[in-house]
Amino acid sequence: MTLFKWLSSSVAGLMLVSCVTINIYFPAAAAEKAADRIIGDVWGEETKQREAPAPAEQSNSSSSTKMPIAVSVLNWLISPAAAEANLNINSPAVTDIQNKMKTRHDSLKAYYDNGAIGLTENGLITVRDAKAVSLKDRNTVNGLVADENKDRNALYAEIARANGHPEWQSDIQATFARRWISNAAAGWWYQTSGNWQQK
Amino acid sequence: MKNTSTWLVLWAAMFVLWQCVAFASDQFKVTIGHWDFDDLSAENLAVNVQLTRQGLVVNASADSIVFAQPIGVINKVTLQCTELVLFSAQTNCAAGKLRFTHKQFGAQSITFSVKAMLEQERYQLSVSNLKFADATYAITANYDQDHWQASVVTAKASLTKLIQHISPYLDAIQKSMLSEWTFESDIAVQAHLSGDQRQVNALKLELHTSAMNLSDTQGKYVTENVAINLLLDLVQKNRAWQWHTDLRLKSGQAYAEPIFIDLNEAALSLVSTGEWHSDKQYLVISDAQINHNNIAQVQASYSGSLVKVETLDVSVKQADLAKLYSVWLQPFALGTAADKLEMTGQLGLEFKQQAEHYQLSVNLDKVFIDDDKSRFGIYDLKGGLGWSTNQTAVQSKLTWLGGYVYALPFGPSTLEIESHSSSLALLEQWSLPILDGALLVNEFSLHKEIGNKTQWTFDGLVTPISMESLSAALGWPVLHGKLSGVIPKVSYVNQQIQVDGALMVKLFEGTTVIRDLRLNKPFGALPQLYANVDLTGLDLEILTQTFDFGKITGKLDGSLRDLRLSNWQPVQFDAHFATPEGDKSRRRISQKAIDNLSQVGGGVGGILSRSFLRFFEDFSYQKLGLSCRLRNETCLMSGVGEATQGYYIVKAGRLPPLINVVGYTRQVDWPDLIERLKAVSQSSGPVIE
Repeated sequence: MTLFKWLSSSVAGLMLVSCVTINIYFPAAAAEKAADRIIGDVWGEETKQREAPAPAEQSNSSSSTKMPIAVSVLNWLISPAAAEANLNINSPAVTDIQNKMKTRHDSLKAYYDNGAIGLTENGLITVRDAKAVSLKDRNTVNGLVADENKDRNALYAEIARANGHPEWQSDIQATFARRWISNAAAGWWYQTSGNWQQK
Repeated sequence: MKNTSTWLVLWAAMFVLWQCVAFASDQFKVTIGHWDFDDLSAENLAVNVQLTRQGLVVNASADSIVFAQPIGVINKVTLQCTELVLFSAQTNCAAGKLRFTHKQFGAQSITFSVKAMLEQERYQLSVSNLKFADATYAITANYDQDHWQASVVTAKASLTKLIQHISPYLDAIQKSMLSEWTFESDIAVQAHLSGDQRQVNALKLELHTSAMNLSDTQGKYVTENVAINLLLDLVQKNRAWQWHTDLRLKSGQAYAEPIFIDLNEAALSLVSTGEWHSDKQYLVISDAQINHNNIAQVQASYSGSLVKVETLDVSVKQADLAKLYSVWLQPFALGTAADKLEMTGQLGLEFKQQAEHYQLSVNLDKVFIDDDKSRFGIYDLKGGLGWSTNQTAVQSKLTWLGGYVYALPFGPSTLEIESHSSSLALLEQWSLPILDGALLVNEFSLHKEIGNKTQWTFDGLVTPISMESLSAALGWPVLHGKLSGVIPKVSYVNQQIQVDGALMVKLFEGTTVIRDLRLNKPFGALPQLYANVDLTGLDLEILTQTFDFGKITGKLDGSLRDLRLSNWQPVQFDAHFATPEGDKSRRRISQKAIDNLSQVGGGVGGILSRSFLRFFEDFSYQKLGLSCRLRNETCLMSGVGEATQGYYIVKAGRLPPLINVVGYTRQVDWPDLIERLKAVSQSSGPVIE
């Protein structure tokens, strides 16, 4: 019986330890801060930074409400450093892309304003109302949108790589998607659950 | 069509009216309160017939007449025929007037002439001044024993109103199709129709407009003020509709996603001949010629259903590539590496498809291409490039005089290739001169996977390229040595180029080996380069001379692990450089080198020159080295051994004067370090013991 108790507690202990060790946090709060910094720089003054909503659930961790108490305690003991991890966005590649996006925004802004383009749910942009663009400018706008999306995808990938976690790319993209929409100026269009809404 | 038959019914009804009238004197008058005849009924019908020298004059009126749908009720009807001639088998009305009001057609005042041969079932009708949808129409119709012809002419009709008036007569599908579009244009139409009974057998249509504005709801297909001349000939033969169209778009602007055409700059015409077999849902375009003035001339033919190709031939005559690219090619290339190119030259194209397989051959002449970001370019490209998706092989030969990929120029070359089964292979070894060396490619194969993913592989070797020319091309300090390598396999899959094997650089008397070279999205927004590099036996004397660093003698080994360049800038690596173990060479380090090493480590230069050590030109050292682990723009530094609170960059030799260089700063900002390397100066950090 003692042996059984010892075994079961050891197994439980091992399970607890393994739960914690694979629990690599995506620093959601830091990512939002980083996203806001980049967005603020790219979009400039006119888009006011809004209060970030409560960070989304950590991507690679099981939901805290479902965690055994012991694991929660262990996480509380071990993980604070990870939870407050910073997300570095100071790589030259990120800066390059940021500058390109900033320059491009001068051309894109009018089309955000008149609803020709809108923000998608996945952190990209798309032509929302082609009719708001004169025929001769259609391909210019299509080109701007394609370039912007290429840069945005590269930006998300680069932030993930630069922080040593290429697997974070989709989390970073999702964070940016929320923050682009949240920071968008009044009158701009964004997608939610496949439908267009105006700020 | 419905309108034509409607009017035929109306006129036939009028004849029936006066056929019912009997004549007894110069004038005859009949008044009927309510009258019914088949589907026809009239209220307060009055008929007055008068005999004159020219024939009969008939005046008829009714408060209302009810016709079968789609005409319905007409009110306040008056009919006058001033020259009515009645023969035993023929009735003519050379000049008639009809007035009535209709809920939809409004107030009408129509002039007409009619000839009816009832026994032979032959009728001729001519109507003018018919008002419909705010336009005036002239209609002529002949009916001859089930065979009929009709023509409709209007000089100016509003397309918007025409469609509004027609739409109640359309079925649900046609209505929903129309609701997807907005139209705005005044059109001039001449339509000639013929047929048997209720069947239309031929249509000849001429349509002109000076400003067609058309758009679908999403704005994917739009015309703005486009002048259109359309001739359409449609004949039904053997259950198939044969057509010939001649469509000319002369001015205005048109957009069909993603193509934008400014017709003011270049007019567009489409002339086509073909057949549509509606029973088999089978389409044959025997000839289609698209002529985009001075930009492209395309000839095409097609057979197959609307969704499945049986045969398709397209040929584009040799055209100016710059114009062709900007209008017809660039819109499809958006988001790819080929979306902003400057080019000149001529391009022709042949495309032949049979069922699911096709052959494509592109002919190029005097083509010069430059990427607008100067990432790649090719000069004086000529020859053919073929592609085949089935067993039929297509051989092609391309030659060019030169070009570049990023900073690396390449020279003249000829590429002979063969394509079949969606793949490309070299017909003979291909040599691409690069600077003073060459890339020799033995086996090259390219394959297009389902889903249009391209992958290719080749094996080959790099014949020695002098580092002098390479460093000059890359804007580096002049390096001496050679770059060469045997490449067992280079593969391209999912936008990633992977080089198996090793590239070897003979540099500074030592060997640098580059392994695990990978290049991700080489022409993307942020090209990523990954590699592991090993350096052995570098001669420090030559190296330090090259970079004017201050003389150091001895050997140096090193490695760069997990190197990643993002957009060609180093963003990550584990670098380690040190004197090799058991190095037997003479190891001396000059004052200047010590100064510079100190400053690279964050220290102050010139300390030696201010102490008694300035009397020594150089010093012996046991070993030297530096490591840098670069992450997040920060270099975590260490040296060749741990010192008190620091690390040795240079460890003194056994003979005096003994000099150690110790670094204390562990974390160094990478851009700072680069700056220090560039211009060595300032601040404390290392301590000279």
